[in-house]
Amino acid sequence: MTGNLRIWPIVLLLGIVSAPLIIMYVFQVIESVAQPQPGTLMPGEINLHNWRFLWQELDRGRPSIWTATFNTFIFATTIALAVCALSSTAGYALSRLNLPGRPYFLGGLIILHAFPTITLIIAIFIVLQYLGLFDTLLGVILVKAALELPFGIWIMKGFYDTVPWEIEMAGVQDGASRFRVWWELVLPQVKPGLAALGIISFLQGWSEFVLPLVLAPGSETQVLATYMYSVIQDDAKLDFGLFKAIGMFYSLPVILVYLIFQKQLMNIYGGGTKG
Amino acid sequence: MSSRWLGVGFLAPALVAVLFFFLLPVVMTVMFSFTNMTTATGITGGEYLLSKSRLRQLEAEGVSEETVERLESAGYQITEQGLAALAEEFGEDRADELREDYMGESFTARRDLERVLRNLNDDPIRRTRDRKAAADLFAVTILDERFPTEPAFRDALTESGIDPADHDALVKTAYTGWTWTTDNFKLLFELPATLRYAMNTAIYVVFTLAFNVGFGLFLAISTFYLPQHLANTFRTIWFLPRILPPVMYVLMWKWFTWDTGFISTVLSVFGVTPINWMTESALNAWTVVVLINGFVGASLGMILFSSAIKAIPLSMLYASEVDGAYRWDQIRYIILPQLRWPVLFMTSYQTLSLLTSFEYILLSTEGGPGGSTTTWALAAYTTALRNYGGNLEYGFGAAYALVLVIIGIILSVLYLRFFNFKELVAKPRIEQ
Repeated sequence: MTGNLRIWPIVLLLGIVSAPLIIMYVFQVIESVAQPQPGTLMPGEINLHNWRFLWQELDRGRPSIWTATFNTFIFATTIALAVCALSSTAGYALSRLNLPGRPYFLGGLIILHAFPTITLIIAIFIVLQYLGLFDTLLGVILVKAALELPFGIWIMKGFYDTVPWEIEMAGVQDGASRFRVWWELVLPQVKPGLAALGIISFLQGWSEFVLPLVLAPGSETQVLATYMYSVIQDDAKLDFGLFKAIGMFYSLPVILVYLIFQKQLMNIYGGGTKG
Repeated sequence: MSSRWLGVGFLAPALVAVLFFFLLPVVMTVMFSFTNMTTATGITGGEYLLSKSRLRQLEAEGVSEETVERLESAGYQITEQGLAALAEEFGEDRADELREDYMGESFTARRDLERVLRNLNDDPIRRTRDRKAAADLFAVTILDERFPTEPAFRDALTESGIDPADHDALVKTAYTGWTWTTDNFKLLFELPATLRYAMNTAIYVVFTLAFNVGFGLFLAISTFYLPQHLANTFRTIWFLPRILPPVMYVLMWKWFTWDTGFISTVLSVFGVTPINWMTESALNAWTVVVLINGFVGASLGMILFSSAIKAIPLSMLYASEVDGAYRWDQIRYIILPQLRWPVLFMTSYQTLSLLTSFEYILLSTEGGPGGSTTTWALAAYTTALRNYGGNLEYGFGAAYALVLVIIGIILSVLYLRFFNFKELVAKPRIEQ
């Protein structure tokens, strides 16, 4: 930041510690289209052999990648919509409305936000079986959306807290109901927050692995995460080229979303739930 | 509309979700941990079934010899059910004759019933094999028969004339469903593996956390001193592991460390035999597991700490430089004190999430080699939900999970006290 300090030692040091990641990224891209010559790292001929999963069956009995992609898209989109809808109402209630027992709800929300939900997976697995929702996309969507809710409500409450009171006061004094005030005056104010929450929930849904693995193990309900996992598990030859191509296909939407919404994500991701 | 009811309506959907997928599972984890639920017992109630193979063990379980013999040597009785079967296979006429003369009669030995069948007036069954098959249609036995309820099973026992003293033991043996038990916790304390899982978890949390915080600090401070575009490049490199799907991120590590991957290929130039660097030894496995999690966690630290550093007034930093402070002094006396709270937050937040997370371990080493990287959370998952072993032990797995649930609740309540709670719950100002 300042003139009298040299920066090259820092760049060098950062470059060295970042080397493993940079190597991984570079070869991830290269080897998805070029088979390396055996025993070396030099890329060979460039071809689309690794991308054959897009137009042909990989093994007998494995669903097509397009089924998995469709499932993943439905999964991530529904979760994003559900989380946005429920968080925007619940967040508003907690931020602005005089509820009975409001302090307890807020306290509960903070506890839920910190609570590691993954520990409940055994019980949720059995609850879904009781409800008849085991191995359905709907079941795993409900679970994932519910588990993302505390984070969503927390974020939305934060955004509502920053909306000036005067806006609502003006609306209420003009005789509008609280609902109309929320819908017409307050909600537009938190649109950026809602958009960011939607993007994050979509990415979380797109990347989710453990929940579909446990709660929707059937081939009809496979999402890209479980699809890719099972391809890696079942392949005795360790065809890293194929794995990398599938990984590229799977990660492209994530990378695109990241490139487009980089700024918003950097600001809000700090509160995420990954280890 | 009163804001009170609007609030209740706005909150209700979220509350239902929380009820079904947080509170109910917490209660059920407690319940399941006190059952012997497995794939074999099923998750709903069971039936009552005495199988032939179980018969041999009965005596060891205190059932009298007489009862076992009684169960084994089934009697024969002429019943409508048996007659209907006979009519189907051997003709109406024979069945009618048998019904007229012998309805309700019992035979202890098959020989006796066979004699009757041989001596039918109208149309005796002549071939020995046919007679045997016909006699078997009238066999009365409760072995291998399923009874939906306990009373139905007890009635059947009474009918077969089994000593009432043995009924309770038989009911217990025959039940195929799950029962309440505290054995899970006894087993938890007895198994040497439990201590190992606890130790592994401690290693995992301490080392990963140290890496996350230390490396997060390093990234945040070092990128702070770089020009904007360089800083952004490095931040992107370190942020990607966080947003890439875990399956994809761990795949890159597999390629990096496995025997056909990067490290082995590079080292083979120097004549080193290719090995799987991820699972070659416990030390290697731990290094990789800590790095995989650490790279993801460090990016969280980088983001949190970077924004805290940005909050420091620039004039303060300039002033220190005018005063001749070295960079190290600047970090030591201005930046680090500013980061005290973010570091504390990150430590407490990640302690809990690392204690309970197993996703990256499952994807990379799967707890190996030989269980050396199996943490408590992974053990709970493997016991209850991993499909390879065949029988999934839900009850025992829930006992492992319960320990984590309790720790989770205690720690998150403690964190709640850390927040400035009064300010958080200040009344909405719009209400009079």
